Amino acid sequence: MRLVPLLAIVLLAPAASAAPATREQLDFFEKRIRPVLVGQCYKCHSHAGEKVKANLLLDSREALLKGGDTGPAIVPGKSTASLLMTAIRGTKEDLQMPPKSKLSDAVVADFATWIDAGAPWPAETRKDAAGATAAAQASEYDRLERELWSWQPITDPAAPAVKNAAWAKSDIDRFVLARLEQGGLTPAVPADKLALLRRLSFDLTGLPPSPAEIEAFVRDTSPSAVETVVDRLLASPAFGERWGRHWLDVARYAESSGMTRNFVYRYAWRYRDYVIRAFNEDKPFDRFVAEQLAGDLLPARSVAEKDLNTIATGFLCVGPRDYVERNPRQSVYNSADEMIDTVGRAFLATTIACARCHDHKFDPIPTSEYYALAGIFVSSDEQTGIDRRRRGAANRLDQYDDDELIPLAGYKPDPKKAKSDDDTKTEAREAFRSFFSATRYGGGDFSKPNKPVKFLAMGVKDDRPADVRVLNRGEITQPGDSVRRGFVSIPAIKNPPTISPGQSGRRELAQWVTSAENPLTARVMANRVWAHLFGAGLVRSVDNFGTTGDKPTHPELLDHLATRFVKDGWSVKRLIKSIVLTSTYQQSAAFDKAKFERDPENHLLWRQNQRRLEAEAIRDAMLAVSGQINPTPPTASIAIDLPNIPLGVGGARFNPAELVSSTTHRSVYLPILRNLTPESLDVFDFADNANVTGQRDVTTVPPQALYVMNSPFVIRLSRAMTDRVAGAGLQADPARIDYAYKLALGRPATPVEKDRAAAYLQAFLRDPKAATSRDPYQNKHAAWSSLCQALMASAEFRYLN
Amino acid sequence: MTSSRRSILRTTACGFGYLALADLLTKAHAADVAAEHYESPLAPKQPHFAPKAKRVIFLYMQGAPSHVDTFDYKPALYKADGKSMGGGRSLLAPQWKFNKHGKSGLPISELFPNVARFADDLCIVNSMHTDQPAHPQATILLHTGSSRFVRPSMGSWVCYGLGSQNQNLPGYITIAPQGQGGAQLYGAGFLPAAFEGTPISGSSTGGLPNIAPSAPASVQRRQLDLVQAMNRDTLRRSGDNPQIEGIIESFELGFRMQSAVPTVMDVSKETAATKAMYGIGETATDTFGKQCLMARRFAEAGVRFIELTHGNWDQHQQLKQRHEANATAIDKPIAGLIADLKSRGMLKDTLIVWGGEFGRTPTAQGRDGRDHNNRGFSIWMAGGGVKGGMRHGQTDELGARAEVDKVHIHDFHATLLHLLGMDHERLTYRYAGRDFRLTDVHGNVVKQIIA
Repeated sequence: MRLVPLLAIVLLAPAASAAPATREQLDFFEKRIRPVLVGQCYKCHSHAGEKVKANLLLDSREALLKGGDTGPAIVPGKSTASLLMTAIRGTKEDLQMPPKSKLSDAVVADFATWIDAGAPWPAETRKDAAGATAAAQASEYDRLERELWSWQPITDPAAPAVKNAAWAKSDIDRFVLARLEQGGLTPAVPADKLALLRRLSFDLTGLPPSPAEIEAFVRDTSPSAVETVVDRLLASPAFGERWGRHWLDVARYAESSGMTRNFVYRYAWRYRDYVIRAFNEDKPFDRFVAEQLAGDLLPARSVAEKDLNTIATGFLCVGPRDYVERNPRQSVYNSADEMIDTVGRAFLATTIACARCHDHKFDPIPTSEYYALAGIFVSSDEQTGIDRRRRGAANRLDQYDDDELIPLAGYKPDPKKAKSDDDTKTEAREAFRSFFSATRYGGGDFSKPNKPVKFLAMGVKDDRPADVRVLNRGEITQPGDSVRRGFVSIPAIKNPPTISPGQSGRRELAQWVTSAENPLTARVMANRVWAHLFGAGLVRSVDNFGTTGDKPTHPELLDHLATRFVKDGWSVKRLIKSIVLTSTYQQSAAFDKAKFERDPENHLLWRQNQRRLEAEAIRDAMLAVSGQINPTPPTASIAIDLPNIPLGVGGARFNPAELVSSTTHRSVYLPILRNLTPESLDVFDFADNANVTGQRDVTTVPPQALYVMNSPFVIRLSRAMTDRVAGAGLQADPARIDYAYKLALGRPATPVEKDRAAAYLQAFLRDPKAATSRDPYQNKHAAWSSLCQALMASAEFRYLN
Repeated sequence: MTSSRRSILRTTACGFGYLALADLLTKAHAADVAAEHYESPLAPKQPHFAPKAKRVIFLYMQGAPSHVDTFDYKPALYKADGKSMGGGRSLLAPQWKFNKHGKSGLPISELFPNVARFADDLCIVNSMHTDQPAHPQATILLHTGSSRFVRPSMGSWVCYGLGSQNQNLPGYITIAPQGQGGAQLYGAGFLPAAFEGTPISGSSTGGLPNIAPSAPASVQRRQLDLVQAMNRDTLRRSGDNPQIEGIIESFELGFRMQSAVPTVMDVSKETAATKAMYGIGETATDTFGKQCLMARRFAEAGVRFIELTHGNWDQHQQLKQRHEANATAIDKPIAGLIADLKSRGMLKDTLIVWGGEFGRTPTAQGRDGRDHNNRGFSIWMAGGGVKGGMRHGQTDELGARAEVDKVHIHDFHATLLHLLGMDHERLTYRYAGRDFRLTDVHGNVVKQIIA
C-alpha cells in the first residue's frame, strides 16, 4: 500500500519542481520556513541532530518527500494532504510537533503556503557528511569520486568552433571565445602596445621595461615583435627570480621556524636559490616536483646534481615548526603533518591534513590513508640546523647545531666542534645587541655574510623507514592499527608504485604525484600559471580543488592547458609563452559598463584584469626606475650571520630585515624571517608563510599611502630617480617629464600631464615652505624628487593595465 | 542605507566626490580647498533605529578558548572526569574551579579573577555554535558570516552602515591581527575599500610606521593633489575598479591620519594609575594591556569598530599551562578596559565582545588537551545595551553541544548589528545583481539579552 503514494510523489515531485522555483519563493523558504525547521525540528530530524526520531529527516527536500515511519512528510502542492501540516497544526495528539511547544498560526500558515507552492527548496550542492553514518559517508565518498570534476581524468578536448574566428590566435583563444559568445559577450580590443610591453615585463620578470626596451619595441613593427620580447624576457635571469618567488609562496618559504621560539634556518636560502635556478633552467615540472619530494633518493649523474637534489628537499622542511614541543615523537608527527598539508595543497590542491584526526569531512580521504602518507614522512628525518632532541628547554639556546644539517660536497666539519658560547639568554641577547649595533652592515648592500658560508643544506633523509599506526583522533597516546605506507586512493591510479620496506616511500610518492594518470598535478600547476598571468585562476581557489573549492570557469580549457603542459615535457616556460601570445592575454584591461554588469568578476574573460603588482614587484620597480637596482644576486643570506638565539625569545624586538633595508638587491633576496617580514613587503600584502599561498591578498589600506608618502626608502629612491632624469642629457623640462613618465609608467606623458607636472614644479619652486635651500639647484632637485615620488606613489605605478 | 557605491558616485563629480579642480594646484591653500570639497565615505550615517551601542571593541581569542574551563560552568563534568565516551575519547574535568561572582552570582572560572569582578556587567552566551570545525573556515565565518566566499568582514559592514565618528582615523582598526584567513578577516570584500580594516602593529610601542610627514602639510598636500589627479585619471580609465577608488581614499585618510594618529597613540598623558589598571609594565600583561588602552583611546576618538586579537588558544595539548598563561595575559587588561570605559561613562554605548571561533571539547585529547568543538561554545559581551549579570542559553550538561536557546554566528551578527541600531535584513549591498547581507539569509536577533 505504501508504495502507491510514494510512487505518486516521485512522479509528482519532478512535475512540482519542473518550473524552477522563483527567487521570491526561495526567499520565502529561507526567511520563513528554513529558520523554523532549523530552530524547531532539526534537533531530532536532521543529520546534524543528536538522534533521528521516527526515522524522519527534514533537512532536504528529498528527505521530506521520503518521509519517516509514518510516511511522507509532505505532498508538494497539497498542504491539506501533508502529514507535516497535521503535525504542526497539532490536531492529532500523538502526532503533535514540536512536542513541547506549538508553532504560531502565522508560522503554520507559512508552511501551508510553502507546500502549496510546491515546497520549493534551493539546490544544495554539498551535504555536510559530518553527522552521517560511516556507510553514508562511504557512499558519499564513492559519489564524490565519480562526480567531483578534479578527480576525473584529464581529457584533451577539441577546440570549439567560434564565430569570430579571426580573433582567435590559438586553441586557448577558441575555448575562451566560445564561452564569451555563449554568454553574449565580446572580447575587449587589444591592449595598446606600451601597456602590453609593461604587462609582459612585469608578468615575466617582475620588472618594468627600460626606456631603451620601450624604444626597441615601438620600433619593431614586425608581426613577431611580441614574440621577440617574450623570448627575451623568458631568457632573462629575472624570469626565475619572478616565477621562483611565486613558487616560494606555494612552498611557504621562510628562513626561520616561526611559532613560539622562531629559530633561524641558516641554510634555507639554498632552497630559495635552487628554486630560482630551476625556473630559469626550465626544469621539467615533474622533475622539479620529484626533486622536492625525494631528491636525496634520486640517482644523480654528478656530485653537483646530487647536491642540488638534496637541497631541493628543503621544500619539505622550510615550514613553520614549534620547537617548544616536549614529546619528540609528537614533534615528528607534527612535522609530518605539516609536510602532508603542504604537499597536498602545493601539488594537488587538496587538503589532506584534515584527515589527521577524523575522516575528511568534505573530500574522500579517510584517516587510514592519511596515516599511510604519514608513515612516509615519519620515516624521513628533517635536518633544519636545529637540534630537535633538545626541544622544549626554554632556557637553552644552544639548539643550533651544524650536525643537524645535510653536508654537501666539500663540507669539512669544524675540527673541534666549539660548544656554543651563547649559553644563557643574557649572553645571547647581548650578542644580538652587539650584532645590531655593529656598523659592518650600515648603509651597505649586504651582498654576502661576514661569517663563512659552509657547504651545508636543509633537507630530509630517510630515517628507519617503517609503517605507522593510525592515531585515534590524531593523538599520539592512542595508537590504533598499523597501516602500510602508501598514498591516498583517490584519484585512483592503476598500479601505483610499491614502496619498498627499506625506504621511506618519498620516491614512490613523487612517482605517484607526477604519474601521467594523476589528474591533479598538471591541472593544479597549469591553473597556478594562468592565475599569475590573469590575476585569477580558471579555478579561482588555486590551492583547493576539492569539494569546498571553486569549480573551473573553463573546464575544457584547463584540461587543454594541462594536456599541453605534459606533452610539452612539463615546460613552464612553454606554457607561459603559449598563454601570453594569445589574444585573450593581450586584451585591453579597459572597463566596459555593459559587460561589467553582465559579468562583474570577469569569469568569462571579456577583458584582461587590471592587477595590483605584488610587493616584490613594487619595491623592485622603485629600485629599477631610480637606477638603483643591483641585479646581481647576493651570496647566501643574512641568516648565516645571526647570533645563536631564537628570534622569538627577546630577539623579536630587533628586526634583521630593518638592518638590510638599505640593500638594493631584488626583493626575492631579502631575508624572510617568520613574523619579521621586511616593511617594504609587509605593507603590500606579502604571502602568509605559515601556509601554502597560491594567491596573495590585495588590500588597500592607509599604511600603504603612508609608506609611499613618508618612508625614507621611497624618498631616497625619488632622489636617485631625479639624478637619473637629470643625467639623461635632456635639455627641456617637457622632455624630462616625458622621460620620467616612461621610466615610472612605461609610457610617455600626455600633453595634459606635461602641463600639470610643469605647473607642479613651478608651484613647488615658488613656495618658500617647499623650496627651502638657498641653492637653486638644490631646490630644483627637491622639486623634481617630489614629482618623481608622486609618480612612484601613484596607483598607475602599482597597477598593470 | 541601501545606497550602492554607484549611487554615491552619481551624486558627486567623480569618484569619491573629491572635486577635480583644474586650478587646484595653483591655489595657495590647496589643503583647505580639498578639505572643503571632500566627502568622506566614512561620514557618519543614521542607523535604522535608535542604537544601544555606538561602537564595538571585539576581543578576538584566536585558536578557540575552552568554554568549560572559562565561562560555561559544568558541575557534571567534574564528576565525570575520565569517563569513556566511546571512540577512544574520555571526558576531562574542567581544569579550574568556578566561583560565583557579583550580585548576579555568575559562575566564572578562576582563570579570570579580574574580569570576574565585573560579573554583573557580563552577558555570557553559553549556547554559541558554528558550522565549521576547522580554524581557517571558522575564523573566516566568525569574521565575515561566510566560510566559503570572500565576503566583507563585520567591521566593514558596520562602517558601511554607520560611517565613522572621526574622519581623521580609519573607521575600523584591527590591532595586531592574526588568525587563519589573513587580510580577509578585516577585508571589505565587495564593499568599497574604504571600509576595510586598517591593521596597526601591536608591538610594544604600538606605533604606526611612516606616520611622521616627510614634508610640511601644505607642501605634502600639494604633492598629494598631484598624485590624486593622476589617480583620478586612472580611475576614469579603469571604470569601476573599487581598488583604485580605495587607493584614492587611502591617500586622503593617510594624509589626515598623520596628525590624528600620533595624538591618539600618545599615551604619555595617561596616569600611572590608569596604566597600572591595564597591567601595563607587568611582564605578563604589558602587551595586551597596551593594546587594550589603545583600544579605549581609539574608541574615545570615535573609531567605530576596534578589534584586538589574542592568539594561541588552540590547546590540543598543554591546556593547563597555556590556557593559564593566555588568561593571565588578558585578564587584568580586559578588566582594566571595562573599568576605564565605565569610569568615563563610555561602557553604556561601547559594546565589548570576547570570544573565539569555536570552543573545545569536554573530552580530553592526550592527557592535557582538548579538541575543537563547533557545536557548543561561549562568548561574552558587556556594555553597549546588553543585559549584565546574565547567562543566555545552555549547552548540555557536559558542555558538548548547545541545546537551549542556541545562538549561531549569524544570530550573533544579527544581534550585534541590532545593538548598533541596524536591521540585519535591511543592511544590504547590491553586488553582482543581488543584495548581500552580513547574515546572508540567516540570523535572528537574540532579543533576550538586550537591555
